[in-house]
Amino acid sequence: MPILQKGANAPLATQTPVVRIQIGRGAIIGDIDVSAYVLGENGKVSGDPDMVFYGQRQSGDGSVLLDSASDTETVFALNLAATPARVQRIAFAATVPGAGADRPTFAKAASVALRIDGADPIVFPVPIEGAIETSMILGEIYRRAGAWKIRAVGQGFAGGLKPLAESFGIVIADDPAPPPAAPAPTSAPAPAPAVSLSKITLSKAQPKIDLTKKDGAFGEIKINLNWSAAPVKRGFFGGSRSIDLDLGCLYELRDGTKSGVQALGDMLGSFGSAPYIELSGDDRSGAVTEGEWLRVNGARWNDIKRLLLFAFIYEGAPNWAATDARITLHAPKSPPVEIRLEEGDSRKNMCAVALIENIGGEMRVSREVRYFSGHAEMDSAFNWGLRWVAGSKD
Amino acid sequence: MAISLQKGGNISLTKTDPNLQKVLLGLGWDPRATDGAEFDLDASVFLLTEAGKVRSEKDFIFYNQKKSSDGSVEHAGDNRSGAGEGDDETVKVNLPGVPADVAKIVITVTIHEAAARKQSFGQVGGAFIRLVNQDTNAEVVRYDLSEDYSTETAMVFGELYRNGAEWKFRAVGQGYAGGLAAMCQQFGVAAG
Repeated sequence: MPILQKGANAPLATQTPVVRIQIGRGAIIGDIDVSAYVLGENGKVSGDPDMVFYGQRQSGDGSVLLDSASDTETVFALNLAATPARVQRIAFAATVPGAGADRPTFAKAASVALRIDGADPIVFPVPIEGAIETSMILGEIYRRAGAWKIRAVGQGFAGGLKPLAESFGIVIADDPAPPPAAPAPTSAPAPAPAVSLSKITLSKAQPKIDLTKKDGAFGEIKINLNWSAAPVKRGFFGGSRSIDLDLGCLYELRDGTKSGVQALGDMLGSFGSAPYIELSGDDRSGAVTEGEWLRVNGARWNDIKRLLLFAFIYEGAPNWAATDARITLHAPKSPPVEIRLEEGDSRKNMCAVALIENIGGEMRVSREVRYFSGHAEMDSAFNWGLRWVAGSKD
Repeated sequence: MAISLQKGGNISLTKTDPNLQKVLLGLGWDPRATDGAEFDLDASVFLLTEAGKVRSEKDFIFYNQKKSSDGSVEHAGDNRSGAGEGDDETVKVNLPGVPADVAKIVITVTIHEAAARKQSFGQVGGAFIRLVNQDTNAEVVRYDLSEDYSTETAMVFGELYRNGAEWKFRAVGQGYAGGLAAMCQQFGVAAG
């Protein structure tokens, strides 16, 4: 079993290597993001599709697939035969969470390793003692004299993902502006890909996040439901809206009050008074491309016990797969938290997307993405205890 | 038009540029641009006899001893980062001034504190050595070290050597572990 030292290289025995990034988090709290970059001879990506990460699990050429991600291991399945001739390198990197001076470096991790499966596995135990890096290129697979090799790199940047991504020619927006305005579609290809990286995506592997108060309160929390009926186009939300999705929530307040906020039945809630949750209007016209917004008054967070966010297909066949629907939660000074409505059950018109709970004053967001046939069935599954009768939006 | 050599190749300097006397050896490299410990690569020169050893410590030209005792070989100084285009370090050799018992001039590059910084030539790209006629400013020969290096911490870039009455240059590109200390040991310099 070849054990590589930093800087060392070894030939790969296969065109379809499985690359495992194994991280013992040690004292690092939060998600460690693992990403891969498909690079040309100049060491840069040729565009957005060359980056593989939580938000884009396969490279445009199909050569790199983020196969699975757990708390301790991210697995990439590669098909090197699929790489165009311009591709010279595929780099694998990891980034620790956080910002500012308190951000931990890789020295706080228990262990970091890159491993390539096979009859004779290749292992690179990344030296992290004394590391000042918060983002690190762990290794790279590269072409050499017609064959592919792996190099142990173990080098990175103190400033996180931004300088790392920039070293690969990716332009990073400094602060993703919440709420995100839909950028105007352009016909010309973008000169450089701009990717917002400070986003948290809740997935099956990472179903929970705890948001902490900034400056003693949460401020205004904005929750967006957006969808598209057209094939997904990266970078903007487009397409006609033949399917109408509604955003709503069930809530339970500290004082025991339980009800819902939704367009159906004009239960729009209120921001300034109980329940401190307000739906900012239903868009069935298709004129607004931002979807629907629910606002939660973070200053009154302590009056709220829990919220169940749901999406509801009121009209049209519940073809969830075609909607590419996603809910994004924007809390001030926190990265946006995104949950995608995957694995939709086309027989059921309701999706419980996320549970937001007040845990000792903090905010825990848990991904649910469970499908139900209606309010009553969902209510019962979450033991909410409301009585439901059929209604109409007209 | 300069001649470009492959690893192991050699040329006769006397035949290629009959007027060549004062040689400028330019060395370059590009360490991977990341944060953390800086790369400090150092060029060193060993003046060797037929036996492949130095006559004395005076034949070891490096950052702390920039000139040979006879003045024929001079190190132009240390570049601490390798940043920028072109030559990172240069060495001047006055070929007619090289003592007759020096049969070979070996040009090496080593990574400073490589072990402590966990650095190696696997992390360095774009390494080259080129030989320029100082009088005409013409590049005579160039060798790009395009080998796929790994954990080497010392590298012989090239060597000037006598072949009868003429001087030749060989593209070596051979790496070693152990850094500058290993180079010194190999060439008979007691360094500590």
